[in-house]
Amino acid sequence: MVSPTENTPTLAHQPPVLAKPWVVPRSLYVHVPFCAKQCGYCDFAIAVGRTDRIDTYLDAVRAELARLVPGGENEPMPMDTWFVGGGTPSLLSAEQLRRLGRELAARTPLVAGGEASLEANPESFDDEKARALSEAGFNRVSLGVQAFEPGTLAALERPHDASLVARAVTAGRGAGLSVSLDLIFGAPGQTVRSWREDLRRAMELGPDHLSLYGLTYERGTPLEKKVRGGLVLPLAEELERELYDIAMTTLEAGGYKQYEISNFAKPGFESRHNRAYWANLAHFGVGMGAAGLVAGERTLNTRDLDRYLRLALAGEETAFQRERLDPLEVAKETLMMNLRRVEGMVASEFFDRTGLSLDSVFGGGADALVEQGLLARDNQGLRLTREGRFVADAVIVKLLAGAPATVEGAYPEGAA
Amino acid sequence: MADRKLIRNFSIIAHIDHGKSTLADQFLLKTGAITQREFRSQILDGMDLERERGITIRMHPVTLYHQMDGQTYELNLIDTPGHVDFTYEVSRSLAACEGAVLLVDATQGVQAQTVANAYLAIENDLTIVPVLNKIDMPTARPEIVMEEMEQALGIKPEEVMAASGKTGQGVEEVIRALIERVPPPSGDENAQLRGLIYNSHFDSYKGVVVYIRVMEGTIRRGQKIRFMGRATDGVVMDIGQFRPSPTPCENLSAGQVGFFMAHIKNLLEVKVGDTVTDALDPAAEPLPGYREPKPMVFSGLYPSNNNDFEALREALAKLQLNDCSFSFQPENSEGLGFGFRCGFLGMLHREIIQQRVERDSDLDLVQTAPNVTYEILNRKGEILVIDNPQKVPDAGQIEEFREPFIKISFLIPAGNIGDMMKICTDRRGVYMRTDYLSPTRALLVFEMPLAEVIYDLYDKLKSVTHGYGTMDYEIVGFRAEDLVRLDILVAGRKVEALSTIVHRSTAEVRGRRLIKKMREEIDRHLFEVVLQAAIGSRVVARESIAALRKNVTAKCYGGDVSRKRKLLAKQAEGKKRMKQVGQVELPQEAFLAVLETGD
Repeated sequence: MVSPTENTPTLAHQPPVLAKPWVVPRSLYVHVPFCAKQCGYCDFAIAVGRTDRIDTYLDAVRAELARLVPGGENEPMPMDTWFVGGGTPSLLSAEQLRRLGRELAARTPLVAGGEASLEANPESFDDEKARALSEAGFNRVSLGVQAFEPGTLAALERPHDASLVARAVTAGRGAGLSVSLDLIFGAPGQTVRSWREDLRRAMELGPDHLSLYGLTYERGTPLEKKVRGGLVLPLAEELERELYDIAMTTLEAGGYKQYEISNFAKPGFESRHNRAYWANLAHFGVGMGAAGLVAGERTLNTRDLDRYLRLALAGEETAFQRERLDPLEVAKETLMMNLRRVEGMVASEFFDRTGLSLDSVFGGGADALVEQGLLARDNQGLRLTREGRFVADAVIVKLLAGAPATVEGAYPEGAA
Repeated sequence: MADRKLIRNFSIIAHIDHGKSTLADQFLLKTGAITQREFRSQILDGMDLERERGITIRMHPVTLYHQMDGQTYELNLIDTPGHVDFTYEVSRSLAACEGAVLLVDATQGVQAQTVANAYLAIENDLTIVPVLNKIDMPTARPEIVMEEMEQALGIKPEEVMAASGKTGQGVEEVIRALIERVPPPSGDENAQLRGLIYNSHFDSYKGVVVYIRVMEGTIRRGQKIRFMGRATDGVVMDIGQFRPSPTPCENLSAGQVGFFMAHIKNLLEVKVGDTVTDALDPAAEPLPGYREPKPMVFSGLYPSNNNDFEALREALAKLQLNDCSFSFQPENSEGLGFGFRCGFLGMLHREIIQQRVERDSDLDLVQTAPNVTYEILNRKGEILVIDNPQKVPDAGQIEEFREPFIKISFLIPAGNIGDMMKICTDRRGVYMRTDYLSPTRALLVFEMPLAEVIYDLYDKLKSVTHGYGTMDYEIVGFRAEDLVRLDILVAGRKVEALSTIVHRSTAEVRGRRLIKKMREEIDRHLFEVVLQAAIGSRVVARESIAALRKNVTAKCYGGDVSRKRKLLAKQAEGKKRMKQVGQVELPQEAFLAVLETGD
């Protein structure tokens, strides 16, 4: 890690046009940790049974934003995207949602034509909240459906019933929101047949965007403990692979184009906010447990609700982890994130971002992978083949292992 | 000039653990060479590793002065190593002596090495003073052990002395017996100088210290000397005796034992077994020297980190300064990079060298499977010496493939004879004979290939006999056998470091075991990895490691980046440490699999 330099640019005073998008944030992530219960597979930063603290939490978000954007409301920082994730942001009341919109707009207003998303659970998203969301300036809702099949829902310990999904989609549509659905595959007990059925029902609702996540047994989650204890049997690797394969084939056929490992959209409906992550661009992270990347420094806020509230309200630093990467680490991270995109790591973007040639850093590790048909290489850069997506992590590890021990000519991180 | 009649030169020969070093320390104490205050256990085992393992590898001579019957006797004790690998060192010591204390543990009785070393002493015409040690122990059974000594070695019970190295009981009587029974050295101190170099060591301040037994004539400070074998000359700068610390003197005459320095910088310039004579008045004939110790067990020694190659070379060179029986030369292996092919006297020697290198130089080492030296008679009638399986030529060029055979003796409880016979015949052993030392203990003699011994025979012996069995062996020669080189192929590529030479009858079983073990050690790859064991082009065993089918992080957004990067970077670092064979990454454990394929 490189120690912070004294001449770190003052963000609020950067003319937006000149600021590099990996230095000055054009995206804002806000974490809303409240949940009615913990789902078995979840390892996010959440707070269960604390909805009485929502109003205070909104005060804290306001205070943290004030600290991050010191120029005040006279010198706001315009954002291309907002993303409010959780937790369960839809646990906020209609009034609280409207207030959230006002707080974000005060210092980090959404530019005209910007994208503003909020995650919602079907059981807590109805017409009233959809309207409030729209009034608050949001134009996209991401619904945590996860599954339609009762067996899969039970395995994931999800409280809703499939009929609520249709209601939530209709509500979002009615309020003029673009709708995205999240599904999980690879849950214990899932079969090819039940997954096909989930996909069919999801597409039947006609969302603009779909995120399909292979279930991950994150260490320490209730579900992972059950697996370790032998109470739950994970799917065979070959079946998991088949489910992913089916998803890619089915969605492409239904007009949803894959643009990232787990994300599919109708043309023009790709999530711009998430694309900023995969391009390894700067973003603010606000709220309990939120992660930010500003001027080459990654920060991670405390995951303890009470501590977050106390620090944010006092105008104090909320991050408990901060790190700056050396140029080689930046290069590795940039590759790792960009390769998730279907267009892969574009060599010119890599050079803009790092000052290094993609081929000189990762070309050595790429040869064998290209030969194995897992990676494609052309004038534009490197990208995973369809085959390579199944084993993306192993491919990235091979590329990282092939990188030289030191690089020369890289930009100092944080340079604009 | 020392009075030859008052000199006694002797060794102590014993089985490992029978208390040799403790008895030697008692001699020092009783003769006043050290005080009770200085007395600590096993002074003569200078090296930590030796003390730790309770074995003596290198000889540490000591000169003692003992008053008896109004005379001052000069006693030169030349200590001997007690392990099977170091038999040649024992014979070196014996050649410098007229007598030997044959030490037998009264609680354990005669052991395989007792027999082997006693015969060495008898062959060297040494007078044997038999001593029963540890007689203070409640489990001592002197009558039975004396009977074994008579049965195995023809030693009369009335000659046997009883002593305790621990309490000092009987030690003065042993010294008296030594003086009375062992003849003084012969040789004329006024004759032309002939001194036997029986050892040497390197001292970083003084250079090479040469250990000498003067057979005839006298060696003096300032004398111009000649090493007859090397035909090199030098001047004696310093001369002395170990009492036990090095003590200078003016000269050493016929019969005496001591050391000298002659500005020799490199240990390789001094050949143990060579004769020292006067350069101006040289003797006509050198003394009969020694058989050169030949390394019989070889293995590759590689630094875990390839950057440590030079450091390893330095460490090995330093070790060789004090251990000429150990050899090494650079070699290059596809799997392991640059390292050294090392030759050892035996498995214990090999283990000790590795531990010393690791301890002294702080290097992590990888050892390849040990192998013995083979001989190949090719179609052209040439004999090739094979110390590395990679040097085996194509089968078509081989007329005869020969391997070293040993005569191996086991001294075991009679009840274990059946088990031990099976172990030996499973290892291609040829039964020779059984001698009963008593109704309960027997000497079992086999001839078998050395290669079958180096893996695990010693462990098997110890486990079958619950620790009571001992063994000793000597090389009897090379014999033609149906041997083949077993190759290991990873994804179709031969990994030379994994090749071994095996008997055709066991090749399939060995090959199967080996690749099965490797299969457990190799990570799954992005493709199927096929492991094969082959003799020439014939595959005798096959295993495959299924390809990684799904390995992808589902969610990766802003908050996941740091953790993911660290995780993947760590995996990438792990890969870098592995050895690349084609597209396959082999962890070092896979190379060690060869060492662990015993059943």
